[in-house]
This record gives sequence, C-alpha cells and structure tokens, in this order.
Amino acid sequence: MRVLLIEDDASVAEYIVKGLRESGYQVEHAADGKTGLVKATTEQYDALIVDRMLPHVDGLTIIQTLRASNDTTPALILSALGEVDDRVKGLKAGGDDYLVKPFAFAELLARIEVILRRQEAGSAVTRLKVADLEMDLLAHKVTRAGQPFNLQPREYKLLEYLMRHAGQVVTRTMLLENVWDYHFDPQTNVIDVHISRLRQKIDKGFDKPLLNTVRGAGYMLDDSQ
Amino acid sequence: MILSKIFTSFTFRFLVSYVAWLSVAVFLVLALIYAFIAYDFFAEVHHSVKSELSDLSEAYESGGEAAVDEFVKIHSGPDRLIRFFYFVGDENLNKIAGNLDEWPDSEEYRDGWLGFSFESLTNVPDSIGTEFVARSRQLAGGEHVLVARHYADVLNSTKLVGGALTRSMVATILLGTIGGAIVAALTLRRVEHINVTLRRIMTGDLSERIETHSSSGDFLRLSESVNQMLDRIEALMTGVRQVSDNIAHDLRTPLTRLRNKLSDLHDNCEDTTNREQLEQLIDEADGLLGTFSALLRIAQVETGHRRSGFAEVDLCTLVSDVIELYEPLAAEKEQSFHTGLAKVGSFYGDRNLLFQAVANLVDNAIKYTPEGGRVQVNLAVESGVVRIEVADSGIGVPEEDRERVFQRFFRVEHSRSRHPGNGLGLSLVQAVVRLHDGYIELKDNNPGLRMILRFPRGS
Repeated sequence: MRVLLIEDDASVAEYIVKGLRESGYQVEHAADGKTGLVKATTEQYDALIVDRMLPHVDGLTIIQTLRASNDTTPALILSALGEVDDRVKGLKAGGDDYLVKPFAFAELLARIEVILRRQEAGSAVTRLKVADLEMDLLAHKVTRAGQPFNLQPREYKLLEYLMRHAGQVVTRTMLLENVWDYHFDPQTNVIDVHISRLRQKIDKGFDKPLLNTVRGAGYMLDDSQ
Repeated sequence: MILSKIFTSFTFRFLVSYVAWLSVAVFLVLALIYAFIAYDFFAEVHHSVKSELSDLSEAYESGGEAAVDEFVKIHSGPDRLIRFFYFVGDENLNKIAGNLDEWPDSEEYRDGWLGFSFESLTNVPDSIGTEFVARSRQLAGGEHVLVARHYADVLNSTKLVGGALTRSMVATILLGTIGGAIVAALTLRRVEHINVTLRRIMTGDLSERIETHSSSGDFLRLSESVNQMLDRIEALMTGVRQVSDNIAHDLRTPLTRLRNKLSDLHDNCEDTTNREQLEQLIDEADGLLGTFSALLRIAQVETGHRRSGFAEVDLCTLVSDVIELYEPLAAEKEQSFHTGLAKVGSFYGDRNLLFQAVANLVDNAIKYTPEGGRVQVNLAVESGVVRIEVADSGIGVPEEDRERVFQRFFRVEHSRSRHPGNGLGLSLVQAVVRLHDGYIELKDNNPGLRMILRFPRGS
C-alpha cells in the first residue's frame, strides 16, 4: 500500500511517516502543496493524506484538481480548523474523510484503513461473518454459534459497522459519525456504555470475547485473540 | 403595519410639525390679506357715501327741493349698481325731500357714521336686507342731510373672501399632511431597506452589503458609510478569526506532537509503573486538548461564518437521537428517563450544533442527578416557539449562580471536586442557542434543575 502524505509541518509529517511505516505502509512525503500536487498527478498511490493549510497550493485545491481529472484516489484531509463547515467544505471538495488536528495516531490509522477498504469493497455484501458471529443483512438477523439474539436498531447498526470493519480499530468519533450520524463532541464517554451493552449481548457466555477495547484509540471486533 | 410605521416615522412627525407651523404662517398671511381687503371695501363704501353726501348737500344748497328730487332721480336710478338712499329734513328731521320716508333710527354711532336697519322701504319694491350705513350732516340753514348705502354686497364679498381664505387654509393643511405622508413613506421605504439589510447582516453573513445603485444623495452617502463600516468590521472579524485559527494551528499542533510522543513512549514502555504514569500524562494531555478544542469551538460558533451549516432539521428525530444515545447512561445510574416529544415540523438550524447542545444538557442532567433519580426531556411547540426542556431531580444550581453557569470555565462550587468537566459545556450550549436566535432559561425543578431552550420557529 502506497500512501502520499502532503504536510508542511516537519514534525507532524515525521511522526505520521514513522507510524505508517511501522504499520506496514509505503509512505512518501511532500512538504508543500506544489510538490504534493505534482507527485499525486504523476504517480499512482492507494491513498492520500493532505493537510489543508499548505504553502503554494492548499490542500483542498490539490484534491479538487485531482477529482477534476477523474483521479479517485481516496484522500484524507488533515486540518487544524475544527469547524463543521470546514469539514463540509473538505468533503465537498472531494475528500473521503476529514480529520481534525490534534489526533491520536490510532485515529488516523483507523480512518486510512477505512477509506482504503471502502475503495476495495465495491461489491454488495449480504452476509457478514467474524469468527462464529454472523449477520444476515437481508433478514436483519444476528447469530453467534448458531444462537440468535435480539438487537435494538441502533445496536444492530453499531454491530454492522464494527463487523464491516472487523480487524480494524474503530474510534469513538468514527462511531458517532457513522452509526449515530452526528458530528459532535461528547462530554462523557457515552459510547462506552453502548459498547458494553452490545458486549453483554454478543460476548456474554462465550469463551472468546470478540468486541475488544483498544486503549487510547477505540474498539475492535476481531477473533485474533 | 406599514401605515403605523409611516405615522410613527421621524420624517412624518417632522413634516406634521412643519405643516402645523406652516399653517400658522399661512393663517397669519391670509388673515392679513383678509384685513386689507375688508379695509379697502369699507373705505370704498365710506368714500362713496361721503362723496354722495357732499353732492347732495351741494344740490340742495344750489337748487333746493327740486334739485334734490332731480339728484335723487339720477342717482338712485335702476341703472346704478349701488343703491343709495337720500334724505333731506328740516331742523326737526321732518322730510323735505329724498327717497327715504323718515329719519332712520340710528343704532350705532361711530366715527361720524350711523348704522341702522329697517325692514322695508316704501318706495323700494323688494326687501333688500337690513344692513345700511349712513352719514348725515347739518347744513348752514339748519337742515339735515343724510345719505345711506346698502352694504350687504360688501359684507357678502368679504364673507366670500373669508370663505375662500379658510378653504385655502384647509387645503394647505390637507395637502401638507398628505404630502408629508407620501414623503415619509418614500423615506421610510429606503430606511427600512437599509434596516432589513443591516438586520440580515447582523444575524447572518457579514459579507453582505447595502445596495447603493438605486439610491442617491443623502441615502447614497449613508449607505456608503455603513458599507465602509461593515468592511472595517468584517476585516476586524476576519482578523480575530485568523488569530484563533492560528492559535489552533500553532498551539494545537505542538500539543498533538507532545501527546503523540507520550503515546509512543507508552507503547514502547515495558515498566508497568511508568506505563501507568504515562497513561495519566496522556489523559492529562487529552484533557488539555479537549478543553482547547471546546474553547475554539465556542469561539467559532460565536464569531465564525455562523450559519453556513444551517439546513432543515427534524428536531423530533434529533432529540430522540440524543435520548437514545444517553438513555443507557441513565439506565446505568438507575435513573428513570422520561420523554415527551411533540412533532415540531420544519425547523431551520445546524443539526450537529443542536445535537451538541441538547446532548450537553442531557449529559449534565444525568451527571448531576444521583442514582435512582429522574431525568425528563420534553420537546414542545407553543405559539410558534419551539421549547426543549431538560429537567432532572439532581443537585440543581443555586439561585445566585444561575447567571454565571454560562461563563466560560465557571463551575458550581460543590461540583468542582466531585464531577469531571471543564466548565465549558453550558457556554457552548448558550453559543449554539444564540446562533439559532433562541434563549436559555434555568429554573428550579424542586428538587433539581430545569433547563429550557426556546427557539423562534422561523430561525
């Protein structure tokens, strides 16, 4: 997986490059908008990470230029501007996701993985399966080891999102944005309560817990442990 | 509405007082004209009577009775425009000659003038009214000579002049008032146009300007000045915005770096004690960053391009989403959670900010209500006002602190130590409520607190 990072802050860039390399990505770095745009148009990448405020050419212009020439490489916008409308502007310009500085690296990694997967998973899925946990998307039924259980609509949506991103870290903000569809900042960790409720339903009475908390980042549904 | 605006407008009032003073001036001028005209009329009457009298005296003195008869015949003929009456009597006022039967009873005597009236005259075929003016003279031989003139025509003329002048006066007032109303309406329309634009600018987009191409003169200059002022305000606002953006960029970036380095250390640390300490440091850094983000967010809601996130919002769904999100939190504290949601219909607002505001209130209600307590969330519409109410049976807010809870970083004394929080939650709620033209009210719930948000439907 080749990722292009366009970021003018050397320290942030170094940190992201290091983190992504450790996670197994090939990363190239451009320190200003002009070089970034040249690289993005002349070479092939699997994903772009673009800072909004850049010298010479700003991040949104880079993405708009790429989209105008039918380049659909998934792009994650980084920005210190946390306003909602900036977010909307970023997504309207053609960005696939928007991440506000400061962010934990885990958040960035989780989002990069999601936008990469989104690109892969073009075909319609009707069944999701993680270990012995199965979800029938057509019949809206969930079973674990053949044993069915009832979920509230929101719990179902939450589990669906986690299962679609099984093996990936999913952050609390990602859950709020995608399961609840609101972009806001909860004062308390209200998501934790929903996760523990869901955990009660799908993990209670089973030897192997599937829904795990990743400290300092979020949650992950997987069967690796 | 528009009429009452016209009548209360400064221009109209100004013009009304102008018309009032103008009327006084016009009245004075017209009164003067009337006085002059009346004076001239009466002077003419007096003059004619005087000259008739001296002619009559001359005729009598030169030719006696016969000459008087001849004189009267000529002077009171039907071809004459003005009727004169003549009388020549002896010392005891017995008739010698003339066309009057007897000496009339005088009613008043003024400046050598007699005024009298009589019903009919023997040699006058029809009644000609009662207003006569007369003048008499005693000749050297002791005879009395009198000339009388009917002057109703003069009175009529002065009445006509008076009437015409009164009517002009009324017309002046009427036309002045109507003209005033029209001028006021025209001015008002321009002022209203500026007002409406200014109000729109105050509540919304600062980049809008008053259009100047349709105005001229005073209004053009006023509009241009206001526009220049707006340019200046916008430049200042942009400056403030840039400063806060720069703070965001310049301070939060190194803070992130710090937090990420701590997180790196934590990941590579084998020692359990150190790990725990690092975890605490990371939490501290996260708290600091959270506070910083919250502050910036409030500032952005208050000063940014405020309404760009506005769209049609289904408040009922929004509030039930908040409830759905927080209900498990209340259940964990064994609080009973009650809701009463009415259908609100269309509402215009920023859904993410509104969600944040309601979520903060519900979060607070759950946080400050002890286990087993009660939390109530209501959504209602009352006469065009949308009301969102979050009530709890918790510790409440003391009366004296109710105004201050919206200040940044303010926390009620007893909650400072017991409950986590940064003291920015309600500041953000207030910023969001203001953005939507609403207002917020804290009330006692006996026990507990009732937070009421009210929004005008049209916002």
